[in-house]
Amino acid sequence: MSLGSFLRNSIAVAENEFRQFRRNRSAILISLMVLPFFFTASLGAGQGGAGTTFSATANIPIAFVDNDYSVASLRLWQTLTSSPDFRELIQSYNEQAAIAELGTKHIYAVIVVPKGFQNDLENGNRARVVLYTDDSEPGVSDQIQSTLSSYAQNFNPNVEVQAYLTQLQRQSISQVEIIRKGALFAGFNVGLTIVLAVVQIFAAFYEIAGGMSREREEGTYARLLVTPVPIGSIVLGKTIFDILLSTARTFIVLGLAVYGYGAKPNTDILSLLALSLLVALVTMGLGFFASGLKMGQRAVVIVEFFLILFLFAFSGLIIDKELLVGISQVIANILPFTYAFDALRRTILLGVPLLSLTSDLQYMAGSCVLSYAAAFILLLKSRERLIR
Amino acid sequence: MKDFIRHTSAITIKELKQLRRDPVSLVLTIMFPILLIGIFIVIASAFSATSHNIPVVVADLDGSPASNALLDKLTSSSLIRVTQLVQTEDQAYQPVSNGQAVGAVIIPQGFGNDLASGHAFIVVQTDNSKFTSSAFIVGTVNQSAQQLLTQVSLGEAGVSFGAKLAPVEVITRPISGRPPSGDTILPGFLGMIAILGAFDDIVNAISRERERGTFPRLALSPVSLFAVYNGKMFATVVLTVLRTALMLVIFTLDGIAIRGNLLLIFLTTILIAVFTLSLGLTISARIRGSATLTVLEIAMTFPLFTLAGTTNSPLLLAPGGRSIADSLPWTYGNDALRRIMYLGAGLNVVGGDLLILFLSSLVLMPVALILSKRTM
Repeated sequence: MSLGSFLRNSIAVAENEFRQFRRNRSAILISLMVLPFFFTASLGAGQGGAGTTFSATANIPIAFVDNDYSVASLRLWQTLTSSPDFRELIQSYNEQAAIAELGTKHIYAVIVVPKGFQNDLENGNRARVVLYTDDSEPGVSDQIQSTLSSYAQNFNPNVEVQAYLTQLQRQSISQVEIIRKGALFAGFNVGLTIVLAVVQIFAAFYEIAGGMSREREEGTYARLLVTPVPIGSIVLGKTIFDILLSTARTFIVLGLAVYGYGAKPNTDILSLLALSLLVALVTMGLGFFASGLKMGQRAVVIVEFFLILFLFAFSGLIIDKELLVGISQVIANILPFTYAFDALRRTILLGVPLLSLTSDLQYMAGSCVLSYAAAFILLLKSRERLIR
Repeated sequence: MKDFIRHTSAITIKELKQLRRDPVSLVLTIMFPILLIGIFIVIASAFSATSHNIPVVVADLDGSPASNALLDKLTSSSLIRVTQLVQTEDQAYQPVSNGQAVGAVIIPQGFGNDLASGHAFIVVQTDNSKFTSSAFIVGTVNQSAQQLLTQVSLGEAGVSFGAKLAPVEVITRPISGRPPSGDTILPGFLGMIAILGAFDDIVNAISRERERGTFPRLALSPVSLFAVYNGKMFATVVLTVLRTALMLVIFTLDGIAIRGNLLLIFLTTILIAVFTLSLGLTISARIRGSATLTVLEIAMTFPLFTLAGTTNSPLLLAPGGRSIADSLPWTYGNDALRRIMYLGAGLNVVGGDLLILFLSSLVLMPVALILSKRTM
């Protein structure tokens, strides 16, 4: 078969896919609306826009109990109340009553300045502040402790009202200052790399593996395989269809992130698109492979859910690969998505040129070729069985 | 009334029988909790591990006894792994830029003298695209510097004056009395299991019945639609009780002490499931395909991990996200579960949360009924 007719067949398959997609309102809704909009908007809601900053502890009600009644403890109170990190600090006079309020959702922490606080400071001893926290709220306890510690470590009892701390100052501990270098990123920008990858994986897997299983359930799969169209054309046609959808999704996510939430990716749009499509291609390869295993539509969706949960744990999506231990790190090193997320982060956040990420790109391309080859063999066997 | 109860029980039994005959759904009901917990264990073990191998490059430009002491502390840290010792600042930054190391620590020239005079500094360059590892590196450098200061204040490390320890120390006392760990997210996971399970029940109960063509027959039988929905709801309640019991067994095997009243835990998960079921019934009136509904359910699940307070408290969200969290009844369910399981809170504390869940279901259930009747 000539290359021309191979391509013609592939385009015919892609056209057929588009026609089916156009007729399926739910597929359009999920693929181009729910997934890109819902995920990006949720990220924006959770993290705030890329340009906005907020203090996580600013609006958490915290009680302050001063048992020392000294100038130093008063200055600590003034320092905290004048900071943008403790806007809901409530003065309380009874330590036991304040602690009893914890767990009732009225207050989430109690800062207690014990008797002798000023004396300790005057005598050159280390003074102490006790922080009681409602640790049933995940993350809150650590966040309050970390913010309060940064103020306490830099507290100067001789200064009446201390200006709130800059990010740089917070890293310093009294006599040894830690100067941090390296770009800092808004939570939204970090989240964008995750959202872009998850949306592409979610949608591409559903469209390829789900699409094939739908054809199987509707009875058109066997017909498609026994037509004179080569398997390669079927795979390429479906890939072309999904690449176009993935391109649209990339633009929707990036458009919403950039124009809706002020994200500023540190790279050009072409590199971003290329990476996003590479992630989609790796997933499509996996989708074709899964479809060769004769899964039903519902099974595909369930496998997809667990695939994403699996990636959350093992591919550096939530936990950096460097933090994984033992077998988890081995799995992370094998998964092509680990390299995809690494490449996405390095380009979007650090602005590393795409072509300099050769090892990441090679690994992704290699996995793509392998999964497509495996899927091709499975589909070929499927066709042989049908013809026999 | 008697007829209504009889019809409801008949539908409940039918649902449970159907589930028993569908091995995929049955396995799924059991696998959801186990897999979620498996993922949690991986995540928690990564965060709570006492040793990591985060690659770091160090440039000691001072070569003084104090900088050597700091270098010793960095190299003996169990969290970071000093992969290279280099001579210049640029050589230290290079591996961070090309991804070979996550951080570079520069001990500047004159560090020892500065420390003796009372104010020294260390430069830390990190690849902040790996935010957790970067935080670990900064934390390790901070801790090493703190240890060095202690050593200095005791007259060790070659210098014995000038430097002091941080003046104020913060001592944290969590009210649960538990050691700090990742376990706080487990009650949220239980809530998530209740949500996912109830959504899956809806897919089984309505959409698949529609696809098989048995739903119109059921609706045309002399059983009221309310009894049909009620029966399906009771089947979900039974399954939620089973899922909750399975999760509690897993928690107990994992060594987590559950403080609160067990009945209150079951009541909360049931209310979460009933609300999810009401929402699922409303959505299923419009979206009819079981696969589509499952995809939609999963697409909703991931944002809920953040917005409904499963993994992180909604208090830490941006203002917009906090408003969304406040408007989601699931947030109140997860919150109630945490308070019951972690703090041993009673009905007097979580009553408001449970009431919100109950009222939300009460509002949604009639909406689902009306929509279903219209689209039938």
